This record gives sequence, C-alpha cells and structure tokens, in this order.
Amino acid sequence: MSPHTVGTTVAPESAAAHPATVRTRDWLIVAAAAIVALIALYAVFVDNGDLVSATGSYLHEFSHDGRHLFGAPCH
Amino acid sequence: MSVSAQPTPYPLLPLLGRGLAAGGIAGLASGLFSLLLAEPLMDRAIRLEEKRSAAEAATAHAGASHSGHSHAAEAEELFSRGTQHLGLVVTAVVAGLAIGVFFTLAYALSRGLRPGGSPNRSAPRDDGRDWQRSMGLAGAGFLALSLLPALRYPANPPGVGDGGTVTERQGLWLAALVIGVLGTVLAHQVHQRLGQAGHGLPVRQSGAAAAVVATLAALFLLPDNPDAVPVPATLLWDFRMLSLGGQVVLWGVLGAVFAAPSLRRQRSAPRERSASSTP
Repeated sequence: MSPHTVGTTVAPESAAAHPATVRTRDWLIVAAAAIVALIALYAVFVDNGDLVSATGSYLHEFSHDGRHLFGAPCH
Repeated sequence: MSVSAQPTPYPLLPLLGRGLAAGGIAGLASGLFSLLLAEPLMDRAIRLEEKRSAAEAATAHAGASHSGHSHAAEAEELFSRGTQHLGLVVTAVVAGLAIGVFFTLAYALSRGLRPGGSPNRSAPRDDGRDWQRSMGLAGAGFLALSLLPALRYPANPPGVGDGGTVTERQGLWLAALVIGVLGTVLAHQVHQRLGQAGHGLPVRQSGAAAAVVATLAALFLLPDNPDAVPVPATLLWDFRMLSLGGQVVLWGVLGAVFAAPSLRRQRSAPRERSASSTP
C-alpha cells in the first residue's frame, strides 16, 4: 500500500493552516479499505456463484445461514 | 514518509483499527448469538422443508413443478449443516469487519473531517462525547440498514425463497437498504436544521420522526416480495425476532466497543470539555 500512495500523495500543504488534518495517505487507505469491505459484503450477501466458482455457488452456500439471518435474499 | 509538521494530523488510521476491531468483535458476538438461538430454528425449518418437498414430490411426480425448491438437497450436496453453522459465524464476522470500516468512515465524517485533508472545523481528539457519538451512529446504522429494510422485507427462514426470483429480490433488498440510509440521513438533517433554526427538541424530534415515517412510506412503494412463505407462523415470528436480535447485538456491540477506548482515556485524563486543548 504505502509505496504506491507515498508516490501519489501531495505534501499536506494545508496542514499548517488547520489545527487538525488528515493525511491524504490516510484517506486513501481508508478508501481502499472501504472498497475491500464492499467486495466482502457483496461476496457474503449477494454473490450467487459468479465470484468463486462456475460449478456451484460455494460462497452462497457457505454464507447461507448468515444470509437468511441478515435478511439477505436467498434461494 | 516525513513525520508530521507540528500540527498533528488527525489519527485516522488508529480509528480504522478501532473500527475493524469493534466490527470483528461485534460480528463474532452476533454470530455466536445466532448460532446459539437461531440455528435450532433454521435446522427445524430445513427439516420441515424437506418433508414438504418430499410430499410434493410424492403427489406431483417429481420434477418440472419445483425448479426452485431443491434448496435443502442442494445445500446438503455442497456443504453439511455443520459447515453452514460455521459459515454463519464467519459470515457475521466478515460482515462486522466490513461494517466496521464504514462505521469508521461515518464516524470521521461526523467529527467534521472531510476528504481533501482539512476538517471543516477543528477536530479535537476527544471532546468527551465519543460514547454518545458512537452509540448514536450505531443506532442510526441499525435503523438504516436493519430495522427499516426489515420492516419492508422481513428475514425469512430457510425453505422460503424461490431460486427463480432471487435476482429480483436482491434488487429490491438493495433498494430498501439505500432508501433506509437516505431516510436516516434525511431524518438527521431535519433534526439538525430545525435545531439551527432555533427550534426545541419537541419540534426537532417530531420532524425527524416525520422523516422516518416518510421513509417507511417510500419503502412500501417498492413491490412486495414475490415468494410464498409456507412456514408455521410461530417459527416465522421467532426467526424474524431473532434475526433482528442478532442485528441489535451487532450494532450495539460495535458502538460500545468502538467507544470503549475513549472512555478509558476520559477516566485517566482530567476532564476537559474544551475542544482541542491538548497539543
């Protein structure tokens, strides 16, 4: 993560003007985490065999009980 | 990676760590709650379904009529019920971790931090209101993502759900989640704006309640769940209550664990209410 983001991060020029700021790098990491989280939520609650396997919906069946309990549609 | 100029950057990454830890613990707690209380019901629902489809197969000569009802048989082929019990806990933990990330994001935004690096006002490390903010956010999350969608599309036990309509139902469910979030944000905005306009709590809370009712009305404009629910009423009621109960555990533990470190800080440090007094 950091080698990539350090390259693209602009120096926090606004840092001096404010008592508390968030580094751009930190925002990027949190944004990346949010994307991973969305994919994970899709995998456990929505996927019907498109992500992992063409022969069976393994993710669907493994998370089957959780889907029912969280109110996610199930077959 | 040059280490900070003198104004210390807001510690967003530790906050993310807190969100992940709280989410994981909350997911585990919710998963264990459901494992103990809801799994017996689900196992019973699956046995009932097997009986039902066996009876169906006996009357109508097995095949054509029940394309979407191979549920139990199919589930057993891929994973045993024991594995699916484990899957429930894993699913809950994964969901908890993911929700923890968004909880962190919402929390940071609610403290006035904006993407782009600058807070819209000075964002103190700890203004002594972390507990209220965290629990309030957890309550909002429950309302937006659990309660409101569940009022429109309540959870159904195994044995309910036609494979042929699953895509349609997923669309409806996701729409309900989006409406739940938008409605909750709207209610919060109404509450804030009325306050800024100088109104007291009775008016502000009535306004927020009206926003929630409007959201419910919007949810009921969505089409009904197309599937039949051939499940005994008591089993269905118990399952739905336990479904909501598991989500109460998830959000409650998430909010509490997320705020817990600030409680300790508050106790050990002398009480300072003034914003950003510590350098």
